Amino acid sequence: MVRALHKLAGGTAAIASLLLLASCGGGDTPTSPAPVSGNTQTSSSTPPNPLGNNLNVTRCLTQQAVPGRTVADLVVPDELKVDFSQPPGFPNGRLLSDPVVDLTLAALFLDLTKHPITALTALPLNPSANDLPFRSTFPYLAAAQGAHPASTATGTNYNFRTDPVSAYVRVDRMGMPAVATVLITSAHKSEYNDAGPIDDTNFKFLSVINEDLTGFANALSNDLKSAGFSLCATPN
Amino acid sequence: MLRFSRKMLLGGALAMALTAGVVTVGRQASAADHLDPPARTDPDVDTTPDKAADIADIYTWFTPTDLIIAMTFAGPQAASMPPTYDRDVLYTLNISNDADPTTVEFPINVRFGQDGAATGVQFTGIPGTTGPIVGPVESDLHQGNVIARAGLFDDPFFFDLQGFRATRSSGRLMFDHTRNFFNGQNDTAIVLQIPRSAIENGSNPIRIWGSTARFGGQI
Repeated sequence: MVRALHKLAGGTAAIASLLLLASCGGGDTPTSPAPVSGNTQTSSSTPPNPLGNNLNVTRCLTQQAVPGRTVADLVVPDELKVDFSQPPGFPNGRLLSDPVVDLTLAALFLDLTKHPITALTALPLNPSANDLPFRSTFPYLAAAQGAHPASTATGTNYNFRTDPVSAYVRVDRMGMPAVATVLITSAHKSEYNDAGPIDDTNFKFLSVINEDLTGFANALSNDLKSAGFSLCATPN
Repeated sequence: MLRFSRKMLLGGALAMALTAGVVTVGRQASAADHLDPPARTDPDVDTTPDKAADIADIYTWFTPTDLIIAMTFAGPQAASMPPTYDRDVLYTLNISNDADPTTVEFPINVRFGQDGAATGVQFTGIPGTTGPIVGPVESDLHQGNVIARAGLFDDPFFFDLQGFRATRSSGRLMFDHTRNFFNGQNDTAIVLQIPRSAIENGSNPIRIWGSTARFGGQI
């Protein structure tokens, strides 16, 4: 069934696939919550999965993060998307100043019909700004920290490689912040970084994302509720 | 008081969740892309980490006239350390401007090279250009209305990674929003400014992702 959706593209297909994953077990790979047994008191352990939590994250992935875009649309494919008809700023592209961690965590875990996507940013949970101000003109990033004297050497005939792209082997890829690092488990990271948007839209990693997000939701739910937040995840 | 309580509770919850799903190896998981994939770029996991090819972050935004793209890599690192310009790494900014998000209409490739002690950078495939942009690093390079630069910059990412790690190791809540792990640290980066007129395609969105590849295979 998952393969039947492979030729579909865009948000509708992604949502359809996620619903399918949530409802029928995710095709070729299991979608049970990630194992989170253990104890948080040691660095080598993993935290406990709160007893009784058996959450379904489908609603998290299908909820609207910003007008016209669901959370699933933000995650798949793993690209920054820019709509010139909308104001710039995450998730419409990514400004240097955007607090992407708190925004992403809110989108993944909170019920956005009850909380704004800025709910965690408003606390804030993480630092809300860079340590140096950004420049208002090119190159925009702040100058390097420390003393770095300009080179006095001049060149006109640099020895750039002329080898074809096929002579290089992929090491890393990145689009949206936090997708590869947070939603892809270690066992799949290298495979994920070797892949590309066509793999994403073919739902190659959706079962991994669904599984990992479910594990997160189960672990987070009690504390988020205690903090007064409504969750997007629902009981199975 | 309520605000403080919510913050504390959230810190504990997120620490637990992040510990559950992220920190399974080494010191990775900055929530951007630094040190990921760990098996290739994290010195705590890989004895030959490919620092030069390790993407840290990618940013893109626009003004009424231009699209700006920045990709940081080879960091975060101490302010005393030099930039990383590796001749054997190919940096690519993959841009799609049609209705199919999986296609790449504009693969912008960036390479570094040497001429004696001088380091240069070459940008190819930038929309709005008629050929490669070549010049020294740490300089604004112009062709038409395109501006390109490669150089060392302050790491623009901000996140309490230290608190996250401390929480993981101690089991105690250690998040502190006044603490930014990336304070005082640098990345090497590529920054481009491209006229929107060279890249806009009707009402299609622009989609961007970055990739790195090493000549001859991973180290």
